[in-house]
Amino acid sequence: MTYFALIPFLPLLASIILLLGGHRWRENGHLIGIPAIGLSFGLSVAAFIEVLINGPFTLSLYRLFESGSLTIDLTLFVDQLTVLLLLLVTGVSGVVHVYSSRYMIGESRYNRFFAVIALFTFSMILLVMSGNLLMLLISWEVMGICSYLLISHAAERPSACRAATKAFLVNAVADIGLSFGIILTFLTFGTLDIPTILAQAEGMQSNTINILGWMGLDFHINPLTLIPFFLFMGAMGKSAQIPFHVWLPLAMEAPTPVSALIHAATMVNAGPFLLVRLSPLIILSPSAMTFITIIGIATAIFAGVVSLTQSDIKKILAYSTISQIGFMIMACGLGAFAIAIFHLLAHGCYKAFFFLSTGNALRSVEPGHQHGNHEHHVHEGMGILYGGALLLALIPPFVLFSGSYEYLWGITGFVTATIGFKIIALITVFVASQYLFKGVTSLFVQDPKTYWPASEEHSLERQPIRPKIFNGSILTGLFLVTIIFGWLLTLFWSWFADFLAPVLNFPGVVAFGENKMENGFPFWLVISLGVAVAGWIYAYSKHIRLQHQVSTKNKRSSFLYVFFWNQGYFDQIYDAYLVTPTIRLAHWLWKTIDVRVIDKSVYFIANYSVYFARSLWRIVDIRWLERTVGQLLGPFNTDGQLKQEMQFSTLQHQVLVIIFWLVALTGLLYYLI
Amino acid sequence: MTILIDHLISSMIGVPFIGIAILAFIRDEKSIKRIAFGITVVEFFLSLILWRGFDFNLESMQFVERVEWMPTFNIQYAVGVDGISIVLVLLTTLLFPICILCSWTSIKTRLRAFLSLILLVEGAMIVVFTALDLFLFFMLWETTLIPMYFIIILWGGPNRVAAGLKFVLYSLAGSLLLLVGILGVYLNGGYTFDILMLTEQTYSSSTQSWLFLAFFLSFAIKMPMVPFHTWLPEAHSEAPTAGSVILAGVLLKMGGYGFLRFCLPMFPEASVNFAPYILWLSIIGIIYGGYMALAQSDLKKLIAYSSVSHMGFVTLGIFVFNSQGIQGAVLQMFNHGVTAAALFICVGQLYDRTHNRAISNYGGLHKPMPRFAALFFLFSVASFGLPGTCNFIGEFLVLVGTSYISFAMVLISMGGIILAAAYMLWMLQRVVLGEPKTEAAKMLPDLSNRELATLIPLAILVLCIGLYPGPLMELMDVSVIHLIHQTTGMKIG
Repeated sequence: MTYFALIPFLPLLASIILLLGGHRWRENGHLIGIPAIGLSFGLSVAAFIEVLINGPFTLSLYRLFESGSLTIDLTLFVDQLTVLLLLLVTGVSGVVHVYSSRYMIGESRYNRFFAVIALFTFSMILLVMSGNLLMLLISWEVMGICSYLLISHAAERPSACRAATKAFLVNAVADIGLSFGIILTFLTFGTLDIPTILAQAEGMQSNTINILGWMGLDFHINPLTLIPFFLFMGAMGKSAQIPFHVWLPLAMEAPTPVSALIHAATMVNAGPFLLVRLSPLIILSPSAMTFITIIGIATAIFAGVVSLTQSDIKKILAYSTISQIGFMIMACGLGAFAIAIFHLLAHGCYKAFFFLSTGNALRSVEPGHQHGNHEHHVHEGMGILYGGALLLALIPPFVLFSGSYEYLWGITGFVTATIGFKIIALITVFVASQYLFKGVTSLFVQDPKTYWPASEEHSLERQPIRPKIFNGSILTGLFLVTIIFGWLLTLFWSWFADFLAPVLNFPGVVAFGENKMENGFPFWLVISLGVAVAGWIYAYSKHIRLQHQVSTKNKRSSFLYVFFWNQGYFDQIYDAYLVTPTIRLAHWLWKTIDVRVIDKSVYFIANYSVYFARSLWRIVDIRWLERTVGQLLGPFNTDGQLKQEMQFSTLQHQVLVIIFWLVALTGLLYYLI
Repeated sequence: MTILIDHLISSMIGVPFIGIAILAFIRDEKSIKRIAFGITVVEFFLSLILWRGFDFNLESMQFVERVEWMPTFNIQYAVGVDGISIVLVLLTTLLFPICILCSWTSIKTRLRAFLSLILLVEGAMIVVFTALDLFLFFMLWETTLIPMYFIIILWGGPNRVAAGLKFVLYSLAGSLLLLVGILGVYLNGGYTFDILMLTEQTYSSSTQSWLFLAFFLSFAIKMPMVPFHTWLPEAHSEAPTAGSVILAGVLLKMGGYGFLRFCLPMFPEASVNFAPYILWLSIIGIIYGGYMALAQSDLKKLIAYSSVSHMGFVTLGIFVFNSQGIQGAVLQMFNHGVTAAALFICVGQLYDRTHNRAISNYGGLHKPMPRFAALFFLFSVASFGLPGTCNFIGEFLVLVGTSYISFAMVLISMGGIILAAAYMLWMLQRVVLGEPKTEAAKMLPDLSNRELATLIPLAILVLCIGLYPGPLMELMDVSVIHLIHQTTGMKIG
């Protein structure tokens, strides 16, 4: 059993080896990374079987620290949810590793790249396996810093560096919520051990804390209402939900395989995972559940529409991911946790495939071509194969849509689920089918109006020599594995629901396919299928008639269109109202408070002391004592100049200063004694 | 061997002074450096022996030595360590060899004087952290000032004289208050300077308040707490690298140590009464320091202001009076000592190469100096408390401790962490990432083995404490609980 602890630590080991010694071995980093991830994947399969047969298990690692009542024991907690995500993470990461071993040839810092993606994988594995909230927080943040390193992989490009910093900071803001939620959880439960918390969650409902105690007020509130809000704030950051979604499009600055990793296996999946992992806790706060649903829906629709208006393939994909994660978050908010996980796995397989083929297509774009004039240099047959596979992946009862269909009629069991939600969900399906269609066509069908990202071209120009094409058969094999894996999920969905059931066995959860049998006729399935098909047709007709080609010159562009094309102006708003004022405030504070007020007063005191000393010297020492002495000495007095130097006004002032200080000091002494 | 164990602290105090004496007779510059380095390493091993011999289950002082010094005034030579001071002693002895190593080539004039002064500071620091007699404490507290002043004004940057003067005057103002406080304690507490006996005394409320304020202000200047911090950026940025390392790494911790050793146990009532103001002052310090760092264009000043911000966490943790808070504060002192020292060394290495501290002068260092870039990155992210690095544990514990008092304080101080991430990453973006700006910048040599040797131990510590802080925390656990018992009268387990 203990060897399951190797699942996270093999990639870590690979990463450490590569970080320390990587610069010595030319382009051979994958020789360490791939076996490590491969073994991890094998062990994950073993863990899956183990859980299938014997149920969940826990592995203790070590005691991190003990401070007062706060004891942190690091444990790996492996249950049904964990093994499913383990399979996805190690599987996709393995594919990405193999893919990158060819893709990254000729790139600078080849081995560093493999070191960081191994570390990235490690942190995601640790995240899904962590049995302690603090450990979860640690892996959560390590993942953030890995994404920083990967986004800034092309460190020569200023835009990549800016994107990396921005992505990390957006996450840092959201992570405040997570950290605070964890602290609140500790205050409420007295422990951070996840299984204990989940077991105790229901019994804590009568517990209250005074949140305004520091103001001397009495305002008691049930912490269980608050905790989910804060935890969800962290999830919003990593999963790119409105208003924290701005980092994901920026993350496209990373090399394409990394995008596959971020969008399919790691990072963005952390949010839904957190919600499902802590679902017994989160479901106790109906207001938080409503909030989660609203954020999910808003994100799904907003990002979907933005995705439709974009003309840069990478932006289309980024926003489609945001939208899909929005679906999952919405499912969580409705209590359909199993469906969220199903959708997460399906989306992971599909997105990994999509990104890797995008990378292939992008690589085949020759540098120097004008926008919209590119030609695909994908092998004729392979293009069809990819396109075909992709279309299969999109056809309704298969991978991608099944999740959203299912929860559409699954939500009837939940209190907050009303017809309104269903209509909104249908709108999102409509939008989703359109942007997916657009994504496919822009990749594999000649579509002269889709812009290819300028940044990628730039890097291509930098390195004109690269291997012509990937080993088609290996890639095709990988793709097929991905697709088949996704299909298997679909085919065995009822089994899947049974498998996850022990994790989600508490009141308020929508069971998977609960109402299907009762209804007899899957009414909502047909409705949503119809909507999706309508979306496809609409997209196709638009596509044929006029490509989504946006420029401010275009007379057809309405206000809304421009609004969404600019991605809702989120970036601009943050820059104008958050970033710039902060930096301005910093400069103002420094120049005004630090330099003018504090430093000036220090210097003032110092100068005044010197002035005081000088006055004493002039008046007491020279004027009075010398004069007395001088008078005594009479004829021998030679000190005439000094007296002339002194002006009456300064003299008066100096006397006043001395008197003031004498009085002040006496008063102070008198008061003290 | 038993003599050594019996007089371990005295020998730790003696070794640097003996070292100074030895240095006086040596001419060859290379041997001077080697001997000074050897002495600090010996000192470090002595502190390791101290650590091994220390029993962390006892709440009393250990390795105590007492000799009558001036019996007329009840002044003793008394030293000893408990769980809090041993952490700071370890930090001190750890940083000094690194200090000498990092100034190996950058100090070109008056080498012997420089190293002697450094050893003098080390000896004095150890006394400050181990003294059990107020008079002894005060004497050596003052002694640290003089060598630091000379280190700044003799080997510092262009604006060194003004910075040194400011540093000394600020500190002297604090010392004056400390002296008044010490005399007050002496007169009110039964005419003894023995710290352990003085903590047993109880003072009337008004006396407590006055004495507390005197002690508090002097330590607050040392810490430094906003608004008494303006000496720090200048002193840090003008001092030579070793000076900055000592200042940020050890000297600032004297303030925090003072709070823990004197303010809390001697004046418990006043501490509790003043705590809310101090907590808010700390939070202002955290945020304000973060903003200041964001506005800087000078690398050293940026790190100096980040120290102000991080020290805010220390005072925050100390004045919440619970186990997590105080343990977090002590840990934060240690961690800040490691990371700030490492960052100053990094900047020093850049300064040695380019003789420029302006951020705008740099860019794209990852290309010519990959090793440097990796280490600098590690220390920067550790500095803003990335989970998995050492500062996170300290900050997290402090925040947990604070959450017992007020949620608003926790949330606002978390804003400080965001600011820290912002200024550090922004600095990294401008210094490490991007393209090198000039042809000369493309040719900068990467770290030599000696430079690596200064940074690698710190890097290992950053990760080890971040992933396994247990040993360091159990050292102070019992002492912290004892301290809380003394302060609040509560016995927590």
